[in-house]
Amino acid sequence: MSKTNKKGKKVSRRKFLVRGGLGTLGVLAVGTYLFRNPIRRNILAYANSMDMAYMGSGMEPMIWFEVTSDNQIILHSPKVEMGQGTFTGLAQMAADELDVSMNQIQIVHAQTDTGNIDTFSTGGSTSVAGLWQPLRELAATMREMIKVEGAKKLGVSVNEISSENAQLTAAGNSITYADAVKDVTEWEVPNTPPLRDLKEYKFIGKPIARIDLEAKVFGDPIFGLDAEMPDMLYGAVVRPDKIGATFVSSDTSAAESMPGVVQIIQEEDFVGVVARSYSEAENAKQAIKVDWSVERDWSSEEIQAILQVGEGNASLIQKEGSDIDDSSEVIEMEFSSPIGAHAQIEPNGVLAYVNGDKATIHISTQVVNLTRKEVAKRLGFDEVQVNIVPTYLGGGFGRRLHTPHAVQAAVMSRIVGKPVKYCFSRKEEFQHDMFRPPTHHVLKANLDESGMIKAIRHDFSSGDVAIDSPLLPGFVHSILGADVGAIRGGFCQYSAIPNIRTVSWHVELPFATSWWRSLGLLANTFAWESFMDELAVKSGKDPVSFRLAHIQDDEAGTRLKAVIQAAAVKANYTDEIVDGRAMGFAASTDAGTPCAQVAEVSLKNGKIKVHKVTCAMDPGVAVNPDQVKAQCEGSIIMGISASLFEKMEIRNSELSPTIYGPYQMALMKHAPKEIDVVLLQGIDKPGPVGEPPLGPIGAAIANAVYRLTGERLTAMPLQA
Amino acid sequence: MTISFQINGQAKSMDIEDGNTPLLWVIRDMLNHKGTKFGCGKAACGACTLLIDGEAVRSCSYAVKFAAGKSITTIEGLGNKENPHPVQQAWIEEIVPQCGYCQPGFMMATAALLEKIPQPTDEDIDKNIINVCRCGTYYRMRKAIHKAAQIKAESIDPINS
Amino acid sequence: MKKRLHFSLLFLGLVIFGFGLASSTGYNTYYVSETDSVENASSSEAFDKMMQVLTHERCVNCHPNDNVPKQGADSHPHYFGITRGDENMGYQATNCATCHQSENNDYSGVPGAPEWSLAPDKMKWEGLSRVEIAKSMMDAERNGGRTPEETLHHLTEHELVLWAWNPGLDANGNLREVPPVPKDEYIAAVKEWFENGAVIPSE
Repeated sequence: MSKTNKKGKKVSRRKFLVRGGLGTLGVLAVGTYLFRNPIRRNILAYANSMDMAYMGSGMEPMIWFEVTSDNQIILHSPKVEMGQGTFTGLAQMAADELDVSMNQIQIVHAQTDTGNIDTFSTGGSTSVAGLWQPLRELAATMREMIKVEGAKKLGVSVNEISSENAQLTAAGNSITYADAVKDVTEWEVPNTPPLRDLKEYKFIGKPIARIDLEAKVFGDPIFGLDAEMPDMLYGAVVRPDKIGATFVSSDTSAAESMPGVVQIIQEEDFVGVVARSYSEAENAKQAIKVDWSVERDWSSEEIQAILQVGEGNASLIQKEGSDIDDSSEVIEMEFSSPIGAHAQIEPNGVLAYVNGDKATIHISTQVVNLTRKEVAKRLGFDEVQVNIVPTYLGGGFGRRLHTPHAVQAAVMSRIVGKPVKYCFSRKEEFQHDMFRPPTHHVLKANLDESGMIKAIRHDFSSGDVAIDSPLLPGFVHSILGADVGAIRGGFCQYSAIPNIRTVSWHVELPFATSWWRSLGLLANTFAWESFMDELAVKSGKDPVSFRLAHIQDDEAGTRLKAVIQAAAVKANYTDEIVDGRAMGFAASTDAGTPCAQVAEVSLKNGKIKVHKVTCAMDPGVAVNPDQVKAQCEGSIIMGISASLFEKMEIRNSELSPTIYGPYQMALMKHAPKEIDVVLLQGIDKPGPVGEPPLGPIGAAIANAVYRLTGERLTAMPLQA
Repeated sequence: MTISFQINGQAKSMDIEDGNTPLLWVIRDMLNHKGTKFGCGKAACGACTLLIDGEAVRSCSYAVKFAAGKSITTIEGLGNKENPHPVQQAWIEEIVPQCGYCQPGFMMATAALLEKIPQPTDEDIDKNIINVCRCGTYYRMRKAIHKAAQIKAESIDPINS
Repeated sequence: MKKRLHFSLLFLGLVIFGFGLASSTGYNTYYVSETDSVENASSSEAFDKMMQVLTHERCVNCHPNDNVPKQGADSHPHYFGITRGDENMGYQATNCATCHQSENNDYSGVPGAPEWSLAPDKMKWEGLSRVEIAKSMMDAERNGGRTPEETLHHLTEHELVLWAWNPGLDANGNLREVPPVPKDEYIAAVKEWFENGAVIPSE
């Protein structure tokens, strides 16, 4: 952890900006300038940990809170809710410092019009961790501001006032927050008050039910595709089946006379149609004939041939001691992982309305600011002319870090003069995903006489994750020479090994690869932890003590050791096969969060069955332990799905499968019937949660299979 | 053509130009019940599952003309915040949803399952509940399905049932 | 010789069983012939045509030998772990009709026809030779107790069978392959084969 952590910086009083009255009686809006200049620290450490603070634009006042006349607090979140439970965590943090109860706080996605824009993204498991300090400070400051106004109305001094449940009390008299702030036009902004001790919090650290639980159980229209506007039309855009296809010409004559067609859209970079209904738009789209030019055919085998350690550019990203001595006895293994799809259930979609000089975009996006920039640029608008209305996401997983469909919908809307809603077909989702890149890994090590690792080296090749992403400035990669996403989990976490090398190889692939939940972590950990298991076997040690023996007692090492021990104890780890079930062990450190898992696995008719997973993780302060556990459970099941089943193929430049089923994913029957999560707290602030537990699962399963069969599985998807 | 059916207890008569239009889009876009979700349009993910005369049906693959004279139940009609269906109650108690998008489909499939098998075994659940969830909420869903069975059994009045 | 004897005995058993059935259903028009002596060229041609259809995946995919319906030109197991269930309709709450209706659905690419279901357990054709399929379908014990007339009706008039020539679009919007013989020719061939005594050639 960097000592000059920006998260520790106090919200400056002078940067507090207050506006009163948003047109509703008793509405209070609090805005502030937050941190500028996001990336100014040890860039490699940043790249490894992705330890990002919340990044405001630093340019505009941001509306964080409103107090409504019925004494509710509305928190405008610059982070989006995609299932990870961030909204609940943020509401708990705010409620605890505001002195309101959980049913007195609501949380909504901040529209860009409010100014509260996160200039980076929702991703990297940073939302709760990044807002930990600033959100509590904002809430505490606002509480004090309300107290000041309450004191005036109650005729007492601020010191005499106590606050609880959105109510101020002094000398037997009470006043609600709403009444206290009603009619306030001139605010006094106090210095940022000290934050409370962790033990004093009523909600932080408690398993509060998700704040969006009822909306999601009763089917409320909260998602991007649920958005509606009067007179809305439906769009569709034609996409090629083949990778690398470029548009040559189109014949839209048949589509023009199809029922319900309002207009054929012919732009420089896309062909689409606007119709009265979704079905009519899709039918017309099928009738548009597009001639695509495809330079060459690609196959999975060709991709595999170029995606090899030794091909492309190498960057040394970790260097301790000297390189491994190849002339000595070297243990070497190779691993690989396939192209993976996001396959989130809500297809990408958008509702756009360009009305004169104003554009409104309802969308499931992880990059509110980037979506706005791209729409504004295409329309020739200033950014303030575009209001992005973020919705709940029907799954994110990194898929919604790219939203060019917002631009297309905006263009279509401007042409037809009405709101246009449009979404991907499932085939388009699969063929035009920004895939999890395939990877190839070579690991080498040698052991000393006592079975300890003398030197270790990890070379890995991956398609792009972050390189060329509009999300990160290009200089990040030109300084590093490596892909900050692909290297997640690629580093050696066994700090007691004296000689370590990690080398990242980069090749360009002919199709788009990008951010997929946990980035390189799943594949890198699969390779690392399968190899560590092999080394433990070679050294004649059990996998738990072998790992522990290679970890230093610094902060990161102590936390990693603790989760390894906790997982082993909780699972009653054994190398023995009991009732046909074997255990596999694996651990990873992702963005500073260590996690260890034990998978209990059997084989039935050659098929891998995962019965139970024990997971120990140290996320620091678990703001909502129930939702941290939910993230562990979900990551484990998503990891099982990716490790055992998922794989995209390329034939004649066509990516397939294009539908669930052929693209096999974990179903109910594949999920472990037991998932046992142990949470440790090794630091006194929240750390990343949503991705770290995705690390160990693949290796844990493969290591269990090794115990059953004596064979190492070295390629995902794992097949015994 | 005019197609009449019941949806969530209400009679509806719809003017439909193309009777082959998937029921999903009639419900989402014409009737504005957004709880039934579009996930794949290929009857593969189950996000659009609803009940037709009590049977689980994937509405993206169900021509609206077949709905004539039938009774449709969507997540909005399964229960409400004041009076949740046992499945919804169990989903709340187990805090099942993450992103939540696939959940209505799972809840509708579960509601159908409990009508056929009031106390489903794990094997019954594995066979019948084959929708797709990307967040990986299956672990909690299984617990919630067993809990829903229990709530439903307890809520049946032994004298009048 | 030994093999032939065995066959005849089996056949005798079938005939006896068949008569038992005949008394209750009153059929006596057709007799199942188990001989290679009365084949004529025309009957053999009719048999060939019929079997080109009946061995096609459009038919065999729903006559599995492992209780797992098959899909597609490659006859892969039905996705999502669907199996026969108690009534050839899948599982209790998630069954054929959850996705398959009485018509093909060109939006989803899900095929459909009236009575969409698997052929009953005894009618396993998958992996059988043409002769074995023919024997199976004429065997009342394995064809659901159908008389030859009823079998003829199933083969030539049952909507679910004739769906094979109207199999609709698949999930990618491509037309499914139809059997290699046009429907009319197939129906004529089946009728001819039955009229000529439903002679099953030897292997």
